[in-house]
Amino acid sequence: MKTITSLTPAMLADSAAVRVESLGPQGRISLRARGDLSALNGALGLDLPTRIGHRASTEGMEALCLGPDEWVLVLAHDRVDAMLAALGAVYDDHPHSATSISGREVSLLIDGPRAAELLAIACPRDIATIAEGAGRRTVFDGASVVIWHDAPGRFRMDVWNSFASFVAQTLITGARELAAEPVEGG
Amino acid sequence: MSRYRVPGKGRVDAARPVGFTFDGAAYHGLAGDTVASALLANGVHLMGRSFKYHRPRGPVSAGSEEPNALIGTRRGPGRFEPNTRATMQEVWEGLQTTSQNKYPSLRFDIGAVNDAAYMLFSAGFYYKTFKWPQSFWHKVYEPFIRAAAGLGVAPAEEDPDHYASRYLHCDLLIVGAGPAGLAAAVEAAGRGLSVAIVDENAEAGGTLLSEPQAVIDGQKAWDWLAQTLKHLKAAGVRVMTRTTAFGYYHQNMIGLVQKLTDHLAAPSADLPRERLWRVRARQVVLAQGALEKPLIFNGNDRPGVMLAGSAQTYLNRYGVRVGDEAVVVTSHDSAWYAAFDLADAGTRIKAIVDTREKVSEDLLSAARLRGIETRLSHSVTATGGRLRLAHVTVNEVDCGQVREGQRIYCDCLLMSGGWTPSLHLFSHTKGSLQWDADLTTFLPKDTPEDCVIAGAGRGLWGIGAALNDGTEQARAALRALGVEGAGGVHAVDHDRSGSGTTMRELPTDRNPGRAKAFVDYQNDVTAKDLRLAVREGMRSIEHVKRYTTNGMATDQGKMSNINGLNIAADALGKPQPEVGLTTFRPPYTPTSFGAFAGYHRGDHFEVVRKTQIDPWAEEHGAVFENVAQWRRARYFPKPGEDMDAAVRRECAAVRASVGIFDASTLGKIEVVGPDAVEFMNRMYTNPWTKLAPGRCRYGLLLGDDGFIRDDGVIGRLSQDRFHVTTTTGGAARVMNMMEDYLQTEWPDLNVWLTSTTEEWSTVALNGPDAATLLQPFVEGVDLTEDAFPHMSCIECTVAGLPARLFRISFTGEVGFEVNVPAPYGRQLWETLWQAGQRHDICAYGTETMHVLRAEKGYIIVGQDTDGTVTPYDAGMGWAVGKKKPDFVGMRGLARPDLTAEGRKQLVGLLTKDGSKLEEGAQIVFDPDQPIPMKMVGHVTSSYDIGTTERPIALALIEGGHDRMGETVHIPMPDRTIAATITGTVFVDPENARLKIRGESA
Repeated sequence: MKTITSLTPAMLADSAAVRVESLGPQGRISLRARGDLSALNGALGLDLPTRIGHRASTEGMEALCLGPDEWVLVLAHDRVDAMLAALGAVYDDHPHSATSISGREVSLLIDGPRAAELLAIACPRDIATIAEGAGRRTVFDGASVVIWHDAPGRFRMDVWNSFASFVAQTLITGARELAAEPVEGG
Repeated sequence: MSRYRVPGKGRVDAARPVGFTFDGAAYHGLAGDTVASALLANGVHLMGRSFKYHRPRGPVSAGSEEPNALIGTRRGPGRFEPNTRATMQEVWEGLQTTSQNKYPSLRFDIGAVNDAAYMLFSAGFYYKTFKWPQSFWHKVYEPFIRAAAGLGVAPAEEDPDHYASRYLHCDLLIVGAGPAGLAAAVEAAGRGLSVAIVDENAEAGGTLLSEPQAVIDGQKAWDWLAQTLKHLKAAGVRVMTRTTAFGYYHQNMIGLVQKLTDHLAAPSADLPRERLWRVRARQVVLAQGALEKPLIFNGNDRPGVMLAGSAQTYLNRYGVRVGDEAVVVTSHDSAWYAAFDLADAGTRIKAIVDTREKVSEDLLSAARLRGIETRLSHSVTATGGRLRLAHVTVNEVDCGQVREGQRIYCDCLLMSGGWTPSLHLFSHTKGSLQWDADLTTFLPKDTPEDCVIAGAGRGLWGIGAALNDGTEQARAALRALGVEGAGGVHAVDHDRSGSGTTMRELPTDRNPGRAKAFVDYQNDVTAKDLRLAVREGMRSIEHVKRYTTNGMATDQGKMSNINGLNIAADALGKPQPEVGLTTFRPPYTPTSFGAFAGYHRGDHFEVVRKTQIDPWAEEHGAVFENVAQWRRARYFPKPGEDMDAAVRRECAAVRASVGIFDASTLGKIEVVGPDAVEFMNRMYTNPWTKLAPGRCRYGLLLGDDGFIRDDGVIGRLSQDRFHVTTTTGGAARVMNMMEDYLQTEWPDLNVWLTSTTEEWSTVALNGPDAATLLQPFVEGVDLTEDAFPHMSCIECTVAGLPARLFRISFTGEVGFEVNVPAPYGRQLWETLWQAGQRHDICAYGTETMHVLRAEKGYIIVGQDTDGTVTPYDAGMGWAVGKKKPDFVGMRGLARPDLTAEGRKQLVGLLTKDGSKLEEGAQIVFDPDQPIPMKMVGHVTSSYDIGTTERPIALALIEGGHDRMGETVHIPMPDRTIAATITGTVFVDPENARLKIRGESA
């Protein structure tokens, strides 16, 4: 299958059961810090969530807590440098690591009444434990991914570039399977 | 209507006939039939030949425990499956089935001579026969055993089906949808819990499908079943049929295989054939029921001999009488009811033979009412008939004396030796069992998993008992989930509770040493084999099992284990628990490889990581190789070129002008924080404190044992930020190792790691023209010796893209690595490719990279090192910071054996005859010493002529650094090659080529 890249978003699967799309460029920052986060909160303009899986957002930016000292910030591609600079301004007061990972991964949109089932074909985590409005780092078919639960039946999956084609292939196969299957699960 | 079909009986659809073939002959069944029930409806009992003796066999059961009726099924081109149980395979229009283990035909089989020679094939036959002469093993014995082993023929074509996987998390999983499981589901439904109930059969109901006479809570059993299923589904319970729970794994992980298309005539091509479910359940109710035991007597395997409960199932579930004239032999009440049902459906029951002296008056009067002759204290000692049962010999047993037999003519013999609780999944949990002397069986005791066992699976008998135990056990499971159940009692009328005794071999007046009384039908193990095994010294049931192969067939001893144990215990004169029960292991029933492979087959077999530049390489004819999970371009052959020619051309181009290389797979880790430099000092052997921002250094990473683990060039971007590179294969390992140290040893350090391997696409330019080519695209730095010397790095703009530019070399030429945000990798590559045309730019792959680096003596970790090589062994002591207080591996390096003389050290080798050495070849000092020679090292890297005039090699040789100029020998199969030990640098030892030449270049 064609190499998946954020430069050319594409519809990968589309049926009444579920739709899978690869999305375009997205600004992303990996933020690592510990202790009192107020200096960082000030620079970011939002309060970093401190429970793993929780999200916080402000105009144009969303933060997801991935670990006890780790967040991913999602924002417009062209705002990454400004945000890194803002964080850099408080570095001396509050040392941290802010690294752009905008180019590292591709986001896939998984949307439809059977989206959660599609994720369950290769994600060992109970998808139901990723509440609407939350997110988690987990694995999907052998690749480390971050799954965002945005709305009922709508998920985003961030996957590193090199794994994207393989993961997309699994999703396409699964989407085809769900489309062919009678809706009644039993 | 087929001859043996009973109108109005069963759950098959009389309005939907289904045509299928068996051994080429056309038959008709009804929708809802299995192959076995449909053939039985046509009067066909003979369905296969046995494994060892090729005896004619028919179905002995009606379920997944079937050991005899194993058939081949063909569902169209490529879709052939051997050893399918005819008792489970549903018929559909066009299904092709075949019998197995017969030649030339099922009715006349040459292999049946084994049956006449049965005295030769006793227990331990293989061990005794194939022992010596030893030289016979490979040529004679093994091929013979291989040819004889196995029943069906393995499929020759690639499986065209696809297989699916899915995870399921639920509060309660119920295994088995018989009365106990259904009652458990009813108890759990509607309480806000996620509940799933699974059953291996095509429809839920279990025993209820075979006992329609029961009345549950005032409703006929089948009405109750239909209403219960409707209620469960409405309450959100997931009811999964054709779904086998095949294994119970740690922490309530249960494996299920759901068969999705084997019962369909024309399934959608997108539907998977089977789906493997990995279920994580908070609580599990095991309601697997019980399996009926055969009785052990001479000729108990003849087609027409069948478990009584199964005959009852064929009648009530499928509307099929298994014969016209039946004899029943039993030690349990349940077979009496089977006899009554068959009698009522028109089969003449010629006698009920019960081994017991007494049975209940109710049974006797019910038999009298139907005019059935009953014979208590009787035994069956023989059966007759060629391909089908024709008669049985029935003998009275009087005070232990077996009287003369009487022959009764019949076409089927229904037997019951009682029932064995199905403990398979319970045993998978490492659950402990206790022996119940009254029931003569093992019952479940304790399990470390969160599961309960309900109904016949724990020795209870009757629909009422099973229903009420299902409720009770579910209640216990609910309590563990913090939910209070309602409890309640189901009232059952026309229940068939009963009891029985357990028999070993039935008493006989014949020589038991000649009896063909089968215990394990599938592996053709007889009672006398088991007794012989004990006589020959086997004491543990585990040894008896392996010596006789009892219970080792694909049916996992579902019918044979307890009978085998009872006989072995009797032969040993010990109680059964002291002899022990063999271990049940997953899978419960045979499971296809496809189900386990799931989506991972063909080009989706495992993860293949590709760079953003990979499509360009593919378009330009690259030959790829796998490096760890990555696929990398190995070389770019021009038309007519083989690898050697392509590599020679690529090497020459790099040294002559410029080559371009995709280095994106190199691992990258961003190390950031005030303690970044301290962290680097502790992790790597090299000192980092004095490395200025904007400069790079080669870093060597050891394990704490002092051996080389990884290496790479590391750039300091700012005071607190390092850009670390690792080997392609080592990226994840190095990241984990660093995180491990950070989290467990040095949590005080203010430093964080971020994997940036995939943030960057990395394009390497190497060659004398590299700077000239790149300069016009670079903003922010002049690519001169003064402004940007070797081992520099800078964040700048390249071709309009934000970039991290490194001046490093893995070829010995002027080299740059341009890192740009990954998605733009191809854009950068093509820009440089276009501009490079006037410099005769050449795309090169990993093979050329390997040659060029070897010419310079640069090591590849994992090729020139093997996990036992120190920096000093590799001649890289210069990379070890002598003044550092500590680093990972420093203590290890001080160990006496790591500083000892005579360690294997990395050197260069040049062959005297100019031939290329083989990588991995062993090296000796003296080629004339006697064999076995003392091997003193091996060739780690070897390349044919690249840009040097002769092949070169690197090798690890004992004390090699002190043996410069000496000759060593490399014995090969055809000759011994002499080679001279040299240094490891073959090209440009002064590093003059690393310097950027003047403008004219």
